[in-house]
Amino acid sequence: MEKATSLEKPILRVSVAPHIQQKITTSHLMYNTLIALVPALLAGIYFFGFASLKLALICMATAVACEAGMQGVMGRKLTIKNGSSLVLGLLFALICSPELPWWTAVLGVAVAVILGRGIYGGLGNNPFNAVLVGWAVMKISFAAQMATWIMPEPLFGLEAGGYIEYPPLEVLRLDGVDALLDLPWRDLFIGNVPGAIGTVCVAAVLIGGIYLLARRIITWHIPVSFLASAWLFGLIFWLIDPEVYANPTIYLLSGWMVLGAFFLATDKGTVPVTAPGMIIFGIGCGVITMIIRYWGGFVDGVAFAILLMNALTPLLDRVRPRVYGRVKQVA
Amino acid sequence: MGFKTSFRGVSLPPQKVSNPAIEDAPLPKKVVLPLGQSENRVCKPVVEVGEHVKTGQLIGQSDDFLVAPVHSSVSGTVTEIRPWSDLSGNKMPSVIVESDGNDSWLEEIRAHEDFSDKESAQLLPDVKAAGVVETGPPSMPLHAKFTKPEPSKEFQFLVGIPQSKPVDTVIINGIDAEPGMAAKGAVLTKYSSEIADGIRILQKLIGSAQMVLAVGSNGSVSSPLSGELAGLGVQVFQGKDKYPLGLNPILIKCVTGREIPLPDGTEQDIGVAVVDAVTLVHLVEAVRDLKPQVDKIVSVSGAGITAVKNYKVRLGTLVQDLVEQLAGLQGDPVKVIAGGAMTGVALFSTDIPVTKEIDALIFQTAAEAKSFSPDACINCGLCVRHCPSRLLPNELSKYCEFSMFEEARDKYLLHCIECGICAYVCPEKRPMLHLMRYGKRELSLA
Repeated sequence: MEKATSLEKPILRVSVAPHIQQKITTSHLMYNTLIALVPALLAGIYFFGFASLKLALICMATAVACEAGMQGVMGRKLTIKNGSSLVLGLLFALICSPELPWWTAVLGVAVAVILGRGIYGGLGNNPFNAVLVGWAVMKISFAAQMATWIMPEPLFGLEAGGYIEYPPLEVLRLDGVDALLDLPWRDLFIGNVPGAIGTVCVAAVLIGGIYLLARRIITWHIPVSFLASAWLFGLIFWLIDPEVYANPTIYLLSGWMVLGAFFLATDKGTVPVTAPGMIIFGIGCGVITMIIRYWGGFVDGVAFAILLMNALTPLLDRVRPRVYGRVKQVA
Repeated sequence: MGFKTSFRGVSLPPQKVSNPAIEDAPLPKKVVLPLGQSENRVCKPVVEVGEHVKTGQLIGQSDDFLVAPVHSSVSGTVTEIRPWSDLSGNKMPSVIVESDGNDSWLEEIRAHEDFSDKESAQLLPDVKAAGVVETGPPSMPLHAKFTKPEPSKEFQFLVGIPQSKPVDTVIINGIDAEPGMAAKGAVLTKYSSEIADGIRILQKLIGSAQMVLAVGSNGSVSSPLSGELAGLGVQVFQGKDKYPLGLNPILIKCVTGREIPLPDGTEQDIGVAVVDAVTLVHLVEAVRDLKPQVDKIVSVSGAGITAVKNYKVRLGTLVQDLVEQLAGLQGDPVKVIAGGAMTGVALFSTDIPVTKEIDALIFQTAAEAKSFSPDACINCGLCVRHCPSRLLPNELSKYCEFSMFEEARDKYLLHCIECGICAYVCPEKRPMLHLMRYGKRELSLA
């Protein structure tokens, strides 16, 4: 460009419209998700000690390394800076037991990044939630290592909740409804029970979820329909037979339910994008979760419910509002 | 009439041209007047090289109903008649007039003709003769809005019913749709008597139609005008500050609740006519003053120029000359945009004349100028959340990117109103609007 005051022989940049862009980038979406996960991680550290932080760091480092390696091998643009692999690694750590051996974590994250996402073309193009693909592979292959639970030992303040020795859903499955009658709901809500690092403290996960909603990173459709449908489904069975089926609120406050609704079931690319599609997706997740919890082979159904509904996503994207100006064809 | 105000869209950064004044740009030394609006709609020149023309003199006309006549915008000598590049690089036959600096007008142009006892049939030829063109898109001569061409004979024989629907609602669009545009709001305050006169003329032209004046959230109707509007039975629609309310399909939906039947329909099919507030002023000048359209109000803005104002620019003034006359470049303008920031065209050269279709010029510095990336879509759904046509732009952009145009058409690509919101919100900065236009173009050629 020559001296700007004359514009005599300017070299003009030509580009297509529009000529302004929103400041939101993929990194913005990803780092905000990361920020939203911090309360859950802090709660994990508070209840299970610094082993949780160690596991989270291992998972995040593995995810970034695998992503970089994968993109290097495939000769693609390096996109590790956008933070998506950090989110993947942290989410994987948060749904695991703090006692998980490090090699299991590394293997699981590698499967998630490479088989769950990389081979489909990277972020947003994978059909199934990559975190859950990695987790499911490990859950089936290394069932024993994935099911070692420790008691919560709060670093300060609270007394350790000693009512149950297994995560609440396992107690329900093994010992029936009566075993949980003494468990205060407050312990469930703040996470003073055994369980995965990031899922025990429902309060912390809710804070993160509300942050995501407030920053408009996600919309309300999936979390609300997920939680509401699970609760209503549970309510029906609780009313039918409270001896067999626990209070639906206990189901809502235990296991992965809230983390799944806000973080796993809103994973970009694997969920529908239309509003009606998202609501059906959320209802499907909630109902299938409860079905697996009641009668399924796994104790917590959130992961498989989301994976099943992921498979329906292309269909659910066909459920859409009427397009502007569409008229019925007249023969 | 009850208005709706819910539609999907985005809040854009505020307008940069806040000054409602309209200044006359200096008289250019040379004007380049293209003889048509598109490649296949071109006038024949009625002047010869070397001939002396006066301001407002007819220099090109055509028998085609959809071609507006062209008038000289300065007085001077015709030096050349040759092809000249238009906005998109097409060569358009153009008449080049060197100004003599006197700006002497044709004698028959006189102010304030009394149009009150004229009938609609007498008014329309005046509108056509003045060559008033709607800014668009699509830009078309104003008279074509009020007279629908006869349906083709064979089709009429088959169905036996007339196809044209009478216009029952006229919307005067006073909403500056995009950042960088400010002319309509300025016109509403500066030319309020013309707006009232324009509404009277429209009432004559169209007969019994409901008139609605749409103004933006920052645009206001001054008190003498609002009184007159009430007397004329005009409703005022106060829009909120959300893009793309100023675009015709969405504005029509909000005001009347009707949708233009896409892909082939026009606003006439649903009995609506939208008239730009700036065009309305030209309409008044054409009918009341018998003055052809020789100038255009252009909003000049951007960090690359100091003179952020609305200018009344003579048609055919080259952007280069305009910049030199305003002498206010600053920073390093690297991108010059004709039109608004959302849908405007980036100029490849400053030797482009100001035409009836251009309503804004934006000079962007390197810091402002955006670019797009070739990265893959991450299916985040932001575009779907904001699409005012309720399309799935993520899917459409992928179809167009990989040349699956038929599939894109089945997914309603042709219903896209090209507002540009998908590209504005895209976190991967994909050239969404470009891909849509590309797909539409390929389909139109198939």
